[in-house]
Amino acid sequence: MRTQTHLRAAQVSVDAPGRWVRLRVAMLGAVLLCLLGVVLVRAVKLQVFERERLEGLARDQYVRHIEVPARRGDIFDRRGVPLAQSVDVDSVWVDPSLLTDVPRAARALAKRLSLDSGELEARLMRGKRFAWVKRQLKPREGDAVRALGLPGVGYTKEPRRFYPQRELAAHVLGMVGTDGHGLEGLERAFEDELSGESAQVPGLRDARGRKALVEGAADPEDHTGASVTLTLDRHIQYVAEKALAKAVHDARAVAGMVVVMDPATGEVLALANHPRFNPNLPGSATLAQMRNRAALDLYEPGSTMKPFVVAAALEAGAVGPDQTFDCEQGALRIGSHTINDSHAYGLLTPEGILRVSSNIGMTKVAQRLGRERLVAAFQSFGFGERSGLLLPGEGKGSLPFPRADVALATQSFGQGLTATVVQVTAAYAALANGGQLMRPFLVSRVVDPDGVVLLENKPTKVRQVVSQGTARRVVRMLESVVSKGGTAPRAAMPGYRVAGKTGTAQKVDTVAGGYSDKRIASFVGMVPAEAPRLVVHVVVDEPKTDVYGGLVAAPAVREIAEASLAYMGVPPSQAVSRGQVVAEVGREEPPPAAEPPRPAVVEVSVAGSPGGGAVRIPDLQGQVGREAVARLVGMELTPRLVGSGRVVTQRPAAGSVVEKGALVTLELASR
Amino acid sequence: MSVKPAPAPGAVRLDPLLLGAVLALVSLGLVMVYSASAVTAEQRYGDSFYFLKRQAVAAVLGLLAMAFLLKLGYRRLARLSYPLLLTAFVLLVLVLIPGIGVTAGGARRWIRLPLYSLQPAEFAKLAWVVYLSYSLAKKREKVATFSVGFLPHVLVGGVLILLCLQQPDFGSAVLLLTVMFLLLFAAGAKLSYLVGSVLLALPLGYHAIASSPYRMKRIQAFLDPWPHRHDLGYQVAESLMSIGSGGVTGLGLGDGRQKLFFLPEAHTDFIFSIIGEELGLIGVCVLVALYGVVLWRGVRASLRAPETFGSYLALGVTAVIGFQAVVNMSVAMGMLPTKGLTLPFVSYGGSSLTLLMAAAGVLLSVSATAEGPVRPRTSSVVPPRGVPA
Repeated sequence: MRTQTHLRAAQVSVDAPGRWVRLRVAMLGAVLLCLLGVVLVRAVKLQVFERERLEGLARDQYVRHIEVPARRGDIFDRRGVPLAQSVDVDSVWVDPSLLTDVPRAARALAKRLSLDSGELEARLMRGKRFAWVKRQLKPREGDAVRALGLPGVGYTKEPRRFYPQRELAAHVLGMVGTDGHGLEGLERAFEDELSGESAQVPGLRDARGRKALVEGAADPEDHTGASVTLTLDRHIQYVAEKALAKAVHDARAVAGMVVVMDPATGEVLALANHPRFNPNLPGSATLAQMRNRAALDLYEPGSTMKPFVVAAALEAGAVGPDQTFDCEQGALRIGSHTINDSHAYGLLTPEGILRVSSNIGMTKVAQRLGRERLVAAFQSFGFGERSGLLLPGEGKGSLPFPRADVALATQSFGQGLTATVVQVTAAYAALANGGQLMRPFLVSRVVDPDGVVLLENKPTKVRQVVSQGTARRVVRMLESVVSKGGTAPRAAMPGYRVAGKTGTAQKVDTVAGGYSDKRIASFVGMVPAEAPRLVVHVVVDEPKTDVYGGLVAAPAVREIAEASLAYMGVPPSQAVSRGQVVAEVGREEPPPAAEPPRPAVVEVSVAGSPGGGAVRIPDLQGQVGREAVARLVGMELTPRLVGSGRVVTQRPAAGSVVEKGALVTLELASR
Repeated sequence: MSVKPAPAPGAVRLDPLLLGAVLALVSLGLVMVYSASAVTAEQRYGDSFYFLKRQAVAAVLGLLAMAFLLKLGYRRLARLSYPLLLTAFVLLVLVLIPGIGVTAGGARRWIRLPLYSLQPAEFAKLAWVVYLSYSLAKKREKVATFSVGFLPHVLVGGVLILLCLQQPDFGSAVLLLTVMFLLLFAAGAKLSYLVGSVLLALPLGYHAIASSPYRMKRIQAFLDPWPHRHDLGYQVAESLMSIGSGGVTGLGLGDGRQKLFFLPEAHTDFIFSIIGEELGLIGVCVLVALYGVVLWRGVRASLRAPETFGSYLALGVTAVIGFQAVVNMSVAMGMLPTKGLTLPFVSYGGSSLTLLMAAAGVLLSVSATAEGPVRPRTSSVVPPRGVPA
């Protein structure tokens, strides 16, 4: 039965394969097996002997060294308020090989990103696998491009510089170009420190060019530039900029500059120029407009130089405080030149000369002092040498030796020599600080992300310019300037004693040579006069309404000083402690020559205002440790960190008032 | 007198080595298809298991087909040879009709059925083997003659091959041709005819290649893939880089980088590259060894088959599997121009996997029926010459 089945099933043939058939089948099988062997040999060749070469070729196409640009360090004000920050924004690129219709894609992209479509198309045509479309998009632009849903379009996070305070201190900070390098100001001066080192991170790339994986993602902390903490105070800076803008506007002037300095330390609390610009909008200002003229540019200060001549003459004993000088009724001939006063004056004491700003009186004081001692006095006050704010291109100023009699005369009232606004301010700070010149500084600390301090500026005494007594006497004299008969009664403040000096300088006509009829009006104020906490210097360039510093610049100084003193909690002079302070000042009035110079200002201010050395602890909850430390350091508190990450608890609690230098313990935890 | 399958169910002696090798290849295929396709599948369908699921379904269908053919017995195929051949013709014609045939990658190769895409060329391979085995076995000594033994097969084969070339499916055409030559040779066709036809075919083949710029470029790209690595040589260059990167031990399963879109069709025709990259030379050795086992056991079944039909059938199926495997791996390693032949049992592709498993069922059936010198007693088939005892 079975046999029959087979016969039927295999009706074709029941022949067993013959010997020849078997032989041929075996041969074919052997051939196939040999071919398999060949395959194996080939695999050995590729995977053992050519492995390195092929692996290298493969790695070249999927491992791309992705440059992770370092996050630019932040810039803080003295209290840790960020003035310049880096934020991550999208940059968009495209793999043109994946675009089906390049011209159409270029048109669509150009429309949404406000680019030139022809130029973009040319760029896309050039790029084989990669072409930037636009870098550092606005969020809205990014959304628009995503909505297009084009193939081959990719996004990369790039850090972009952001100035949260907008125009504030823009001239000091400067600006960063699209390539991430500082163009002006501190951004340029501290380029190396802020920029940090960009890292080469090996990343996997798929055929569509997307970053697939990053092997060992870089710790962003490792690639952050150092942070820079400034001596600027955001609040004082704001007040100063506002008052300056008003002064420039009211006088219909072309420009203005302001410097506010702490005389005891040399810290620059505010430094501004007008007109302002917004560093968030690249291209909104020319390089000239971005120039920090107050720190860099030289001008002829004019009468604001007079107190230094008086101080030097008093210090040298060349003139006495009560000696009188004949002011020649307003005109003094020196050779072929005539020195004029704005009004005709008769006999004046040095205090009177400063009060009315008599050029003739000053000339006579300078003649008593002599050429060598005049130049030496200016040099001693810091003129002719760089202030050392660490800004690129800072001016040094020139002090030509006054060979001619008329040169001695003009230099005595601040013409024929040049200085920066910061230099003049610092010299006043020396008078305010008991004759002790402090080196002005703008950057207090540069700290890298690991907490290593790269640069730390502490108050540095440059020299004792004049004795404490002389300095105090000159400051007392300068109080008369804001009195009724002085040149700047508008600078007087209710509640505070103000010392100051006006300046109304003629501008050099760079075309014709000699002086033009353009003026630079300025006023330097020292408040409170009995123990100055602030030196405020406002310069208005080419005022059109009035040209006198007492009219144009003094009100701005007053506005800045009033707001700042209130903000700093400095108690008013007269009502509360006039007697006390006078007594105090009086006690020190006779200068004991042997007594070593003491930081009298600090002493007095502590005595006069118990709250002066106290600060309120800010709420640091949730802040990154680094930032919290920057803030505390900016407030002159001593941070102590426990753990790492973000602030969880702080001791003492936020809001409590402690002495400066007090220890603040921060407990940190990640997340 | 009911007609029963040749081997009684209890008497089916499966070749464990052959079955094991086939199942191992199918399993390896499932793993590698997943590894090679997960990223693409996630991208394209939002489901990284997309291709794996479909391949698994095809594997189950293949198992059923294998079991069915085993149960049916290869001898039944003799009577089915003409219907099968006819079906293959019809399908190959249907696939060329727009609307029925689905175009993908520039070739019209698939007939889309609900839930399943049928690739007629895969079916034609099996039908062609069955028909040839039947025809050659039937003609016995007449195979040696030109008009009876040679010409009819060449004509039938020629039509099938031309239909394949219309898709175009050069790989399948070459496979059909090769199987024909192998079987004609085994069946005793005159070598002079075979050699002569090859010599005659050479100018025709050259014309077929040279007339199509696409094929010509492929040949050029094959001869030197590196200058063409950004266009036609791209696949081969990428494949070589993949395999080379694998080294001896491989990068580890799932850790291959080339499937991240560098290598198109990583889960189908170029799955060998991913095996080479992820499993290294060790993986390649295992793979080659598995095909070696299939070849060995297939040829063994052919040698031991009780009659010429079974012998040819086993040889034909073995050749289909072995030839495809060798060609596919050679292409991946730059030894042959790209053909479009799958790696048997491993590459993704429903028709290919199901029909190859069905073919494996045929092979297992022949081997189970084998009348070998080793165990004559257990043979369940008639002795040679088939004369009733």
